[in-house]
Amino acid sequence: MWDWLDERTGLVSIWRGFADHVVPRGPSLKGVLPAILVYLLVQQMVLGLLLATHYAPSATDAWASTAYIQDRVSAGWFIRGLHHHATSAMILVILAYLGQLAITGAFAKPREFVWISTLGLLLVTMVLGVTGNVLPWDDQGYWAIQVELGIMEQTPGGGMLRTVVQGGNDVGNLTLTRMYAIHALVLPALAIAMVAGIVVLGRRAQRAETSGPRPHPGVAFFPSQMLMDMIGIVLVAVALVGVTVSTNGSELFAPADPTSTFQARPEWYFLPLFQLRMYFEGPLEPIATMLIPGLVGGFIVLAPFLAARGGNLGRFGVLGGLGLVAAGAVALTAISIQKDADNESYVESMDKARKDAERARGFAKEGVVPEGGPAVFYNDPDYKVRKLYEEHCQTCHELDGFGGVEAPTFTNYRDRTWMSELIRNPNEDKFFGKTEIDDMDPYDAEALPDDKLEAVVEYLVQLSGSGEEVDATLAEQGKALFIDELDCNGCHEVEPGVDGGGPNMHGHGSAPWVARVIRDSAQPDLYGSDAKMPKFADKLTDDEISDLARFVVARRGVTADPVPPPVEGEKAKGDEPEADAPEGEEPEADGAEGDAADGDDEGAGDGEDDGKADDVDADADAKAEDPPPPPPPADDEAG
Amino acid sequence: MTAQSDSPSGTAEDPGRRRLLVLGIGGACTAVAGVTLGPAASFLTHPVRVPTTSGSDAFIPAGSLQQLSTDTPTKVDLYADKVDAWNRVEHVKVGSAWVLEREGQLVALSTVCPHLGCAIDYQTEEKRFVCPCHDSFFDLDGKATEGPSPRDMDALEVQVEQDAVAIRYQRFKQGTDAKEPV
Ligand code: FES
Repeated sequence: MWDWLDERTGLVSIWRGFADHVVPRGPSLKGVLPAILVYLLVQQMVLGLLLATHYAPSATDAWASTAYIQDRVSAGWFIRGLHHHATSAMILVILAYLGQLAITGAFAKPREFVWISTLGLLLVTMVLGVTGNVLPWDDQGYWAIQVELGIMEQTPGGGMLRTVVQGGNDVGNLTLTRMYAIHALVLPALAIAMVAGIVVLGRRAQRAETSGPRPHPGVAFFPSQMLMDMIGIVLVAVALVGVTVSTNGSELFAPADPTSTFQARPEWYFLPLFQLRMYFEGPLEPIATMLIPGLVGGFIVLAPFLAARGGNLGRFGVLGGLGLVAAGAVALTAISIQKDADNESYVESMDKARKDAERARGFAKEGVVPEGGPAVFYNDPDYKVRKLYEEHCQTCHELDGFGGVEAPTFTNYRDRTWMSELIRNPNEDKFFGKTEIDDMDPYDAEALPDDKLEAVVEYLVQLSGSGEEVDATLAEQGKALFIDELDCNGCHEVEPGVDGGGPNMHGHGSAPWVARVIRDSAQPDLYGSDAKMPKFADKLTDDEISDLARFVVARRGVTADPVPPPVEGEKAKGDEPEADAPEGEEPEADGAEGDAADGDDEGAGDGEDDGKADDVDADADAKAEDPPPPPPPADDEAG
Repeated sequence: MTAQSDSPSGTAEDPGRRRLLVLGIGGACTAVAGVTLGPAASFLTHPVRVPTTSGSDAFIPAGSLQQLSTDTPTKVDLYADKVDAWNRVEHVKVGSAWVLEREGQLVALSTVCPHLGCAIDYQTEEKRFVCPCHDSFFDLDGKATEGPSPRDMDALEVQVEQDAVAIRYQRFKQGTDAKEPV
């Protein structure tokens, strides 16, 4: 049967060749690193393929589809997380292997090209990290690619290069499709070539050892060495799964937002370059981004050849040089990590970014509108209220510079300044000037000096019951002024529900009160029959009205109404049940934060343990990476 | 480790030990592959367990009774909000129906052919419906008269309120004798 197959396909012979290959000096855990690279590469390709079945590379869909993978599809977070962390694992294993080759001197003849293939794989993997990082099109990817493209632009002819890579003058759809094509089609092919180089050339060198004139003794690869390889692979797999689970997979930040202030950091394997750049400002920057990486990279590539010259001295010189590079890289990484940990603004901004991410991902579960990306925030209740406001209120009530000036402005609605200005001149256009409500006389500084005005306003703030902090003594003075000296209550009653000539001041300006006005502003204890504002009681739902009221009140930063609202018309009008009911359930007019929490599933990735965002250009300078293994977590069965 | 100076094929080891090693390798391979393939199975079959697209179950406004109640079928496009995996799209075409009056009743027939899902057309001259893909014919009641269609055209629920006609749009399994919603 096997012969039958072999005659037709040669498969069995191929297996024989593979299995019977003689490993010099017998099976050993020391030889497992190339096998681990093969494992990681294959696994990455399978995981990448799985992700590709759910991912859409367009500026509008990339984030939404990634959030879908992360938070909605079963096991999506794990697959994405594993794919993310395996890149780190791959870099660690490559560094370990480079270290092994250098320290044991195995990079010398005839293995120079094993060394170079490994370096090539390091470069390819780092670029895979950079391009992959962009794909979710979250703040992280967006800001990282900006920096990377910026570095690219500094190279000679970089302007054109940037336009080509980014697909235009700005990042967008074409950037993503390009990154995707490179990440999913080009780089994997290169990575396969490099890993094949490592394995095939490594075996070739081993054959030379076991078949030369003075052959080393050895043993067949299968099964002894393969078992060793599998032990190494299983250890790495266990570590990877552990890291993935304990970090809840990979982080996903809020959708790419050009107006955000995200502080992008590169992935940990770019930190040395990132930190190096800090020491070279302005025109000197290319020294850090190109010159030093280029020189160091060149030295590393040529190391085996340099070591072959000048006997022992040369060998130790090169080893020392490589050690120095490694130590430098480790030191720069450590400095960078320490700096961020000590940097309050960075820590704070990351906190904020994570909160934004949580909100965005919560909203995404309701489905993202086709505008995509930051449009996920359209699902924010606050946003919906704003839309409602624009539709029904803004024509007359100006807000923050938008809208008509037909009725009182809602910019900073009823904060102390707003109130003072109103009392000074209620007939100004931005208050009641354009309305038919004109019964109140202005109080100029003579009639009401500033300090007294302040007291009256304080009293009115207290009366509103909006829960703002009130200076009680001042309010007490204000009360005296309001009731006795100025006789304001001749028109503005302060007992709940009583109607005077003007609006009752009890609860005036609180959310329930505003809700009553929205329903029907012409009630006798409100603005009476002079009020021409449409009655919204029939046009909007109760929820919409109380949302709008909260929205308006929130213009002055009042977010809750802990104090009971005015009793509705005991004598005024008994017909509206409104005003109070919905308060208190939602603590904030923009109560988004609360609902967003997507705590249910594995969602909120916060794998802080590996740095994020690639800040630094990948290609040109990635060679500059350190060869010997710096000692980060997990997989160092290597040594 | 067990350095041996042996023939390349490793046959010098005793068969029992060799079998053990092979078993170990097999187990390790399975475990490592399982790390990816287990979640992969769950990941790929997710749509079997959780709906990824959904239209509206509600009645969708289709037009006015006056316009639609004729015995010549009118094709009505139905618009509704739709969830499509990660997207929520508002007011998009979800499908269409042939609407006509039969014996004083307003009837809506899905344009989706019960055979393999092509769009059913109407032939004015012959006064019959036809599916152009594999030549299924239906009469004005939607009855399959000729061709491969396993059942009659799928009737959709119609609701008439005063002058307003609304239709509940549904899709049905294709190629089966029975009309079952999917
Ligand atoms: S699909 Fe309509 S006849 Fe085949």
